[in-house]
Amino acid sequence: MAVFDINKYRQMFLEEAEDIFETIDTILLEAEESGDMDNETVNSLFRSVHTLKGNSASVELAMFAALAHELEFFMDRLRNGELAFEESMAELLIEGVDTLKQILEMELSGELEESFFHTTKMSLLQKIESFSEDAQEMVELVILEEEKDDFGLLLPTDDDKGFGPISGEYSEKPEEMPESMEEYFGLFDDEAPQSELPPFEDVFGLFDDLEEITMKEAKEEMFGFFDELEDHSISVATVSSSAEESDEDHFGFFMEIAPQLKPKASLPEKRSEPNPKEAHPEAAVDESKVAKKFKADTTSNSIRVDLSKIDGLMNNIGELVIAHSMLSQYIYTMEDQKTKSDLSERLELIDRHIRELQESVMSVRMVPMETVFSKFPKVIRDTAKKLDKKIDFRSFGESVEIDKAMIEGLTDPLMHIVRNGLDHGIESPERRRKAGKPETGTLMMSAEQANGQMIIKIQDDGGGINLAKVTAKALENGVIDEHQAYSMSDEEKAMLIFAPGLSTADAVTDISGRGVGMDVVMSNIKKLGGIVKVDTEEGYGSTFTIALPLTLAILDGLNIRVGTEQFILPLSAIIESIKPEEEMIKQIGDTQSEVLMLRNEFIPVVRLHTIFNVEYEHQKLSDGLLIVVRSAAQKIALFVDEFMNQQQFVIKPLDRNFRNARGIGGATVRGDGTIGLIIDTMNILDKNY
Amino acid sequence: MPKILIVDDSNMLRDMVKYALNEGGYPDVVEAVDGVDGLEKAKSAVFDLIVTDINMPNMNGFDLIVELRKLPTYAKTPILTLTTEKNDDMKAKGKAVGATGWIVKPFVPEQLLKAVGIVLSR
Repeated sequence: MAVFDINKYRQMFLEEAEDIFETIDTILLEAEESGDMDNETVNSLFRSVHTLKGNSASVELAMFAALAHELEFFMDRLRNGELAFEESMAELLIEGVDTLKQILEMELSGELEESFFHTTKMSLLQKIESFSEDAQEMVELVILEEEKDDFGLLLPTDDDKGFGPISGEYSEKPEEMPESMEEYFGLFDDEAPQSELPPFEDVFGLFDDLEEITMKEAKEEMFGFFDELEDHSISVATVSSSAEESDEDHFGFFMEIAPQLKPKASLPEKRSEPNPKEAHPEAAVDESKVAKKFKADTTSNSIRVDLSKIDGLMNNIGELVIAHSMLSQYIYTMEDQKTKSDLSERLELIDRHIRELQESVMSVRMVPMETVFSKFPKVIRDTAKKLDKKIDFRSFGESVEIDKAMIEGLTDPLMHIVRNGLDHGIESPERRRKAGKPETGTLMMSAEQANGQMIIKIQDDGGGINLAKVTAKALENGVIDEHQAYSMSDEEKAMLIFAPGLSTADAVTDISGRGVGMDVVMSNIKKLGGIVKVDTEEGYGSTFTIALPLTLAILDGLNIRVGTEQFILPLSAIIESIKPEEEMIKQIGDTQSEVLMLRNEFIPVVRLHTIFNVEYEHQKLSDGLLIVVRSAAQKIALFVDEFMNQQQFVIKPLDRNFRNARGIGGATVRGDGTIGLIIDTMNILDKNY
Repeated sequence: MPKILIVDDSNMLRDMVKYALNEGGYPDVVEAVDGVDGLEKAKSAVFDLIVTDINMPNMNGFDLIVELRKLPTYAKTPILTLTTEKNDDMKAKGKAVGATGWIVKPFVPEQLLKAVGIVLSR
């Protein structure tokens, strides 16, 4: 018999839950800020939590579902007007949702102890209760006896205490308890007898036929016909009383099928199926507006595709590009001029189609930066609260698109820079006041596409980086020597914050300041093929600029020749290239170090033939070419023999064994089938320090 | 072979329902992500059964059923609602809009198939 693959569905649940949590966070942060929550927002919130609850129960995350259930109940009361929204509720709800996230993580990893869950839930319920009293609700925390438990039945243990609902009404009517074990299936048909509940035999007679089990008066069916129900507002009390008449255990029917499906998800009658229209007719109409305003839960005509499938497609196109260039190379060697030109013409057409195909697949991989930005308001709010600072967060360029594959690698470094900015950059309100600044600090994040690159800026109006302190610390840690400290420009000094083990925080906080982090930021960005730069002005704040390639899959590169070897240099790294005059080359000290003096700037020269240990054609720098390339904080001039052509390359990762190879970042397959090595300029520079 | 339309905003639940139906011998299954999408798809083909979630953005399950029942093609078509709760309110509402039956989430494939078998044979 078919069984659900729980792991697969848990994964799907997680993906959906992440989106839903983001929607919830956005709503709650907005509510906290505005101190208000309108009906449509409450509905949207309720619906989100309701989905979390229902779906988590489907993937056997019982404790998570139980907690979601409590939050949903609270939101339901907001929704139906039993409770009026107060500003402080937003904070409670944010806390509740955070707890939910925590419980989810723990339950998934199997680390969730029931006692911990119980304590966590109780403390949350107590806070919720405080609002209920305000609203003169008769809510008392009812620790229900086991048989009264209405939701937590999913729990593996018998100790279901603590899973009880907080509904006082519920506890006041214990005689209604059997309701919670009610039908799982019913018929709505209008043609059914309206006056009374049809005999149960009729409903379960159908099941009988299938299973030859008498399902008379079953108390809990998983499935039912609505026409078996009374005309309106079925009194479930009737259902239960009729069920009580004969107490035969007919649940065995479903129990046999699914013993784990005891009436675990039944809820108090009070909690109605979300139907916004009924609760707030005017709000339901605007439901779509809410979805748009926050994040559309789902969009028609869109599908979710595993990124690996798109990667596979991209890889196939890469192979196509390679096959294409092999063919074009072959045609080039053909003797018959007519065939050659005919073929070339047709090949050009294929070339155009491949490019279009490539662009289409690329566009599939692109997602708006909003996906990244939307994670920040919540983090900033939490961090600011912890630090007792006031922060105004603004983001620009949400619609700028970025390769989905980069998002994961990008979020962490951005998060780090932001946390760092909040912790060390933006000052406390008092200090800001004294400095003549507004109490509320501003943190801006922007994204734009320029010159085939993605430029992300994080700007704060805080105190800036104390360069003297950073330099002193770097000296102390041996990152630089005194000579360097003396000759460094301010920009270079600021870049020292990215050096490993450098933290200038006077006090190590749990936000940042452990001295790990900024170097990780640098290495993460480099992994994405990007660079980070920081501009800072003491007293006025800092700006972090991150430049990234738009995609990780394809690279625009320049073919260069060193002796008999050819290498590929990423265009994004190149600043300029020159044929140096002799007087532009200077020797430093008595070492062999050569520098290029270009417009009063000294740029260290790196001879590629030395690094790669290959034959060379030119010995004298002035005979060859120098390509000025960039790294995080520095420029460097690469000495090569010749430029070849510029071309797009499909990047193939190097085998693990070769990843440490100096100066090589990846490989590609050339048109003639040979391997081309892609130069990693960062890597060359690093080893040169 | 009955043609079945599943309407649910959760990928996960759509996949679960589809999987159960496919395994149970109903290969002809079409998915829709909300009431609006569901209505559109219902109009573009004739389905023998519609399984819909209630709690959805854009158009909820009950509203979808109201719209479907207005169409001559779907006046009598069995419609199963997927529901987390099965309280009076849901039942009254389901009956009022003309739904055929309900099935409670979470469900196991067998239960769903049984319910589907029942409503299809009515």
